[in-house]
Amino acid sequence: MSDGLAVELRQVVKRFGEVTAVESVSLQIQHGEFFSLLGPSGCGKTTTLRLIAGFEMPTSGDIIINGEMQGHLPPYQRPVNTVFQHYALFPHMTVAQNVAFGLEMKKVSKDEITRRVGEALELVHLGKMGSRRPKQLSGGQQQRVALARALVNRPKVLLLDEPLGALDLKLRKAMQGELKALQEQVGITFIYVTHDQEEALTMSDRIAVMSAGHVFQVGFPEDIYENPNTRFVADFIGETNFLHGTVHRRGPLAEIAIAENVILPARWASDELPAGSSATLSIRPEKILIASGDEKPPSDGEFVSVPGQVAEVVYLGTDTRYVVRIVDGVQTVVRVQNLEMGNKRFKVGDAVMLHWRVEHGRILKE
Amino acid sequence: MQRLFARYPALRAWLLLLPAATWLFIFFIAPLFIVLVYSFLERGTYGGVVWQFSLENFRRTFDSLYFSTFLRSFYIAAVTTFICLLLGFPLAYYISTRPPQRRSTLILALMIPFWTNFLIRTYAWLTLLRTNTGLINVSLMSLGIIDKPLPLFGNDFAIILGLVYGWLPDMVLPIYATLERLDTSLLEAASDLYASSSKVFRRVIWPLSLPGVVAGSMLVFIPSLGAFVTPAILGGGKSLMIGNIISNQFLAAHDWPFGSALSFVMMAVMLLATLIYFRSTTSEERMQP
Amino acid sequence: MSSESITQQVPSMSRRSRWARVKKSMGEFSLSLYGWGGYFFLYLPIVILVIFSFNDSRSTAQWSGFTFDWYGEMIHDSQIILSLWNSLFVAVISTIISVVIGTLAAMAMERHVFRGKLLMDAVLYLPIIIPDIAMAIMLLIFFDISGIGFEPWKVSLFGIRLAVPYSVIISHVAFNISFVAIVVRARLAQMDRTLEEAAQDLYADTWQTFWKVTLPMMMPGIMGGALLAFTLSLDDFVITFFTSGAGFNTLPVRVFSMIKKGVTPKINAVSSLMLVFSLALIGISLLLRKGGDEEPTIGIGL
Repeated sequence: MSDGLAVELRQVVKRFGEVTAVESVSLQIQHGEFFSLLGPSGCGKTTTLRLIAGFEMPTSGDIIINGEMQGHLPPYQRPVNTVFQHYALFPHMTVAQNVAFGLEMKKVSKDEITRRVGEALELVHLGKMGSRRPKQLSGGQQQRVALARALVNRPKVLLLDEPLGALDLKLRKAMQGELKALQEQVGITFIYVTHDQEEALTMSDRIAVMSAGHVFQVGFPEDIYENPNTRFVADFIGETNFLHGTVHRRGPLAEIAIAENVILPARWASDELPAGSSATLSIRPEKILIASGDEKPPSDGEFVSVPGQVAEVVYLGTDTRYVVRIVDGVQTVVRVQNLEMGNKRFKVGDAVMLHWRVEHGRILKE
Repeated sequence: MQRLFARYPALRAWLLLLPAATWLFIFFIAPLFIVLVYSFLERGTYGGVVWQFSLENFRRTFDSLYFSTFLRSFYIAAVTTFICLLLGFPLAYYISTRPPQRRSTLILALMIPFWTNFLIRTYAWLTLLRTNTGLINVSLMSLGIIDKPLPLFGNDFAIILGLVYGWLPDMVLPIYATLERLDTSLLEAASDLYASSSKVFRRVIWPLSLPGVVAGSMLVFIPSLGAFVTPAILGGGKSLMIGNIISNQFLAAHDWPFGSALSFVMMAVMLLATLIYFRSTTSEERMQP
Repeated sequence: MSSESITQQVPSMSRRSRWARVKKSMGEFSLSLYGWGGYFFLYLPIVILVIFSFNDSRSTAQWSGFTFDWYGEMIHDSQIILSLWNSLFVAVISTIISVVIGTLAAMAMERHVFRGKLLMDAVLYLPIIIPDIAMAIMLLIFFDISGIGFEPWKVSLFGIRLAVPYSVIISHVAFNISFVAIVVRARLAQMDRTLEEAAQDLYADTWQTFWKVTLPMMMPGIMGGALLAFTLSLDDFVITFFTSGAGFNTLPVRVFSMIKKGVTPKINAVSSLMLVFSLALIGISLLLRKGGDEEPTIGIGL
């Protein structure tokens, strides 16, 4: 194990005829990591997973699993197992037969199969369901059988293709926690495909955000959220304000002019741009403090302050959402947590001051 | 082998197809071409063929004797199709408006006669229709309703009745399939929009069931045109269709080239009907099997 | 004032709605009547046919008492028994061959994209569309000039010696391949392909995947195709009649020549026997369908 990576993709490209599904994707996934591929549908995340599993062969590039080049190895010769989106449980077999399938193919002894199938079913809390048919189980139970069927083989890497997609919201939330706990318990590398950003943020050790076949950003969940490096990532994950303008001054702390007299300092999200080029300032709604004109911002740190006028107020229970007009045509959304009952709320038309920490503003390429 | 398959994905397909393709090319396509070739040959003096190119067989199909049989077959097939539609549509509508459990029972009840041997179903009508010894005439005469047997047998009426009976399920099933898929909320929407029930039928049900109607008509028309058993049994040796003329060339007249030409003309008519079907319908309008 | 106008409106409303209800129930009644009439039309001839197989006279029109005599005659007619065995033999052999060939073809057609697929589609559909009589004379000419097929396959079954011309079996396979292929293909089309991927993911190689997953999943389709092929083969008269050469009878061919000689309740008895066969086959297909718990596939034959 020279590099200690569970899975490595080197400039993998996959084309289907004219269509490019995956465009030069390179990834390095550590042992024991819970790694998510996140992106909208059609972004190439499922294709990437299928390439690792061996259901598709790359047009070019290399896939290395556990230090071994996979080349054109068929799926049945790869040390990975998959949990399919719709589970793909064999309807003509019982639950136990489903779970035993992989072990039988690997010619494991009868006794060991029985023991390991039992253990796997216990692991997913389905110890008594072995003799049932998949159709007799609920969606959540089928999901667990699919997990047990994959985990029983002790794969080096487990691939999960939107495994919770078919479940209802409540069950999905419960399964998220369970999956994460299970992964920590068995210590197997999970590669998890999802289009649900919240799911990815809650469960993953690291996330790769994909769009149109490209990987845009790889990082820890808080990194991806706090420091998006592209407009796409900032937009796809969470809610954000985009303030369009031109670069006013370069340097580590740049300035961006969003209107004639409104010049805001912020940090670069990616490479610096020359002065005068158009750029976008991204700021999360919950990072903005809304205050009356005479209130001072907190004194700890450097703040950006902009005056504005409240254009819209929406009470959302846990928080209140304000739309504040900075200048004509430039609006920003502010979320304020409702910490107290009868919190001092602003009315439409009120003049307000917006403050945020300089480092929370990120300048993105257009 | 695996690598070969990976490089030539079509190889696997053709290996799978090899037995079917071989069988069908030798025992179906080759005979089809032989018939085509035969239809351009001349008849030998004592049966058999003379290898001499000739268009005589095709000219003869237009002789009044044969051409009139063609026209009659066409007429019988058309009338059969029309009656099947007239009888079959309400029956399909009836089935489709029953509760789901009843529906599958009724469809099964429709399939049972359909899976019963065609020859037997035709024979059943023979015992009913025969002029002097058929059940209908015997019963009516013994009841004194008629004193002369009705002409129920050995004519076009008997053939059409036999064909309608034989192919009615073929009309009902596709129409039922389209009606069953019909969203009842469409009908409710139509009556909600002030359409009377006859208008609901004309403006909503009929247009939407058209694919089934067309498919059913094809399924009835083609075998009716090529009918052989029904006219042979119910035609009483007098009323013949093109299928019987063809078979006579092989069984009695020993004029194989002419029989080949006749069957080719018959297939051409069917091909034409199929083409019209595909031309006059878009792929959505066609029944998906 | 306003309450008065309401009370005045109510009777007229209810009269109108009552009329609509009457109209609706009359429509419903006549539709039901029609439906029953339709089934009556479909079943009556068959029922009468069966009834007169028990008639104690040579007539199939006048009832003269109950008897099993015609069934007795049928059983002792060695020609009928021989033709029954011939029918079963041809049906079994041609079903086995056409199921194997048709299933392979269905897999190729459903799972692969290749050049010539459209042509193959046409070749597979043609035997279904072409009328029996045309296919029959085609094969007759083919067997005649090629000189193959007419020599018999001699077998002895339960002490009965059969001599079945290869031509008949070949012809039955030729029309059955297409039906099997269509039924199996329909089943394959609704099969979830990720099941096969799952098997491969669980270390099953191509063959193991086929035997352990694809084939069991295809089985309802294969059985359905086999039943259809068996029924079509058992029922076929026209093609057998033309391709068998002289002296070979299947049950339908035998019945046809009996009909040509004259109508007797003995034919009704044979017909009833064939009816029982058909019903048994339908029963089996229903059982299979229940096992496969899926949408009933409506087989439409031409």
